Amino acid sequence: MPGILIVEDDKSIREMLKLSLLRNNYTVIEAENGKDAIVHFKPLLTDLVVTDLIMPEEDGLKVIIKLKELKPSIKIIAISGGGKAGPASYLNLAKALGADAIYTKPFSINDLVAKIEELLDNEQHT
Amino acid sequence: MKRKLEITDGNDFLKYLTKEKDISDQIINHSRSMISIVNRDYIYEKVNSTFCNSHQLVLDTILGKSLGDIWGHDTFQNVIKRNVDLCFSGKTVKYEALFGTPKSGKRHFEVVLRPLSVEPGKITHLLAETFDINDLKKSKQAVKEKEEELRKFETNLPIGFLRCDPKGKILNANKAFLGITECHDEKSINNVNLRSFYLQEQLFDIQIDQLKDCHSMNFGRVSLKNCSGKEIPCRISGFLAVNKSGAPTSIDFAVEDCSRELMLENRLLQAQKLETIGALAGGIAHDFNNILATISGYSEMLHDDLPKNSDLSDKVSKIQGAVKKAQSITNQILTFSRQIEQEKVLTNVSEVLKETIGFVRSSIPSNVELKSRIPKMKANVLADPTQLFRVFLNLMTNAIQAMEEHGGLLSVNISIVEREFVLHELNRAIVADEYVLLTFKDTGEGMDPSLMGRIFEPFFTTRDVGKGTGLGLSVIHGIITEMEGEILVSSKRKEGSVFNVYLPVSKNYSDLKAATVCRKKILFITGNKYESRILSLALESAGYELIYISDERNFVNIITDTKERPDLVIYMSDSRQIKPEDLVKIFSGLKIVTPCILITDSVEELSDEKLLNSGIIKQHLTKPVSLKEIRNAIQELIR
Repeated sequence: MPGILIVEDDKSIREMLKLSLLRNNYTVIEAENGKDAIVHFKPLLTDLVVTDLIMPEEDGLKVIIKLKELKPSIKIIAISGGGKAGPASYLNLAKALGADAIYTKPFSINDLVAKIEELLDNEQHT
Repeated sequence: MKRKLEITDGNDFLKYLTKEKDISDQIINHSRSMISIVNRDYIYEKVNSTFCNSHQLVLDTILGKSLGDIWGHDTFQNVIKRNVDLCFSGKTVKYEALFGTPKSGKRHFEVVLRPLSVEPGKITHLLAETFDINDLKKSKQAVKEKEEELRKFETNLPIGFLRCDPKGKILNANKAFLGITECHDEKSINNVNLRSFYLQEQLFDIQIDQLKDCHSMNFGRVSLKNCSGKEIPCRISGFLAVNKSGAPTSIDFAVEDCSRELMLENRLLQAQKLETIGALAGGIAHDFNNILATISGYSEMLHDDLPKNSDLSDKVSKIQGAVKKAQSITNQILTFSRQIEQEKVLTNVSEVLKETIGFVRSSIPSNVELKSRIPKMKANVLADPTQLFRVFLNLMTNAIQAMEEHGGLLSVNISIVEREFVLHELNRAIVADEYVLLTFKDTGEGMDPSLMGRIFEPFFTTRDVGKGTGLGLSVIHGIITEMEGEILVSSKRKEGSVFNVYLPVSKNYSDLKAATVCRKKILFITGNKYESRILSLALESAGYELIYISDERNFVNIITDTKERPDLVIYMSDSRQIKPEDLVKIFSGLKIVTPCILITDSVEELSDEKLLNSGIIKQHLTKPVSLKEIRNAIQELIR
């Protein structure tokens, strides 16, 4: 089963995402901030990352840069709810840094799952 | 004292006569006036030495010559002759004239002509006494000029000056005071007590008492009323004059209209309030989006779990619908608080406006007329066209709604205005060179002045509960502010409202680009980064690298780091942390020669000459300052 890392400081969103992914038969690894995600990153077990952008410790942009460095083939989806720095600019920056997809909160969980499937499907074919 | 005359023979008599004649000649010759005797043929028969000396003439060249010979025939015909003829008719004539010889030059003289009779009953000569009044005339003229200058100064100053008696009765008022109080007849003011111009008359009595103690007082802001009873906020100071024994003789008042100042202050306060609400609301919206994400996620899963078209799945759909509505509100709040970045492209405002008008026209109620005048123009601004459409649509819909009940006229206009026009209209430290001005004017319900200051606040609405969220205008405000524009409103109850939207015209700054082949660094010291954004946009697009700072520590770090050292420093006096004198201290302490442009509120602010003479500040600009001025200053300093 493909492994998905969820990086999100908001516990309720993290749990909601986890439940939804488990229902779709993915293996889920959780991290509650960017630093946690980078330090405990397991390249062999992780195929895709869903990361929030504005978080304490290291933020989502750092996660994207670092994890792409550690595992270039990894797929990344960035999600953000808009904050003081402006969500659109942050999300665009995430895309520029190599995120494969970006979502603004609140997003449709079904859309997100469909995107994950699509990204992992492409992965298998290539 | 009378001399006793004793004459014994004829010889003695002759001697006496000669002696007497000598004395009288001497008296005449030494008189300070110029004396001459002229006969009926206008010929000089006698003149005294003062006459010769004053006009630098020799006696022999005068005697036997006519008035015309000496003073020129033009002067004689035009000035002298008619007075002389009048004198020969038997009158003593006094006149002032400007004449002179080529040698002495023309001067002002006062001339007194007296008829003389050598033969009884017949005027044969006249006696002319001439006084040089040139210096007197000149000093009189100088006094008059000085007086006029003072009067001009006093009448042109926008400050009202009043002299009152010790009880406050107006003795004298200048034009400015008449202007402030809108009393157009000077007489109607004199002898009126200044007290009657006070909105609170008791306050005037208190101030008079204070003046009696202190003699000079600045009373600060006082509300006066004009001749038609309208309130005018003024700043008033008074000065009490006393006589030698200490009794008050008069009171002078200086009255300054500060309604514009008050208006700008209020506007600034509003802007700050909106900024604060924006930051607060933006933070809440962010947290809300997180919560909504959870609600939305679980309800989607729940929806998937439930059998389709069941009663329960319908209920979950309702939850999802509510989430969508909530999301739309948080999005609007984020737009208002300018936390959603607009994708700005060069947009022709008039095209977007035309499009919006076309859209609105199809759905306009029959009792509302829409008039628009959109000339062909190049009104390019940096904007997100969809957002601009949203702004125009919202303003027009609001206007139409305000006229729904009684019908009316909505007029929409667009024009380009130069910075001189907006300089005092917009209260900004930095203004663009040109603005697109869009006017949306309706003849609807209008607003209470007390509400006008609040209409851009989120959730503020004058409509009935349930009709609209009250976010429309705050969203518009957010979009326009994000574009470095401004929206101003004026309104009268039952008469309608006018919304003026100012958007800075986007210019091509390639002229600056040429001057900055290598990226020059500009250090921007300002306490209000938001105000300076229009400048940073322009400079960045011109290829400069901008570094912002607002506190001293960073400043010292940057300025001492040779790699980071800027090519130019722009300092805006609103930065609270770094004062101009600190700047000079740091510069001279570290021996830094980077040129500096200083931008202050007023010229006086730089009264400390030390700053200017320090040689560190190369250019001094006062607010409001246009991009053009700043560009010129920069170009002059970094080549």
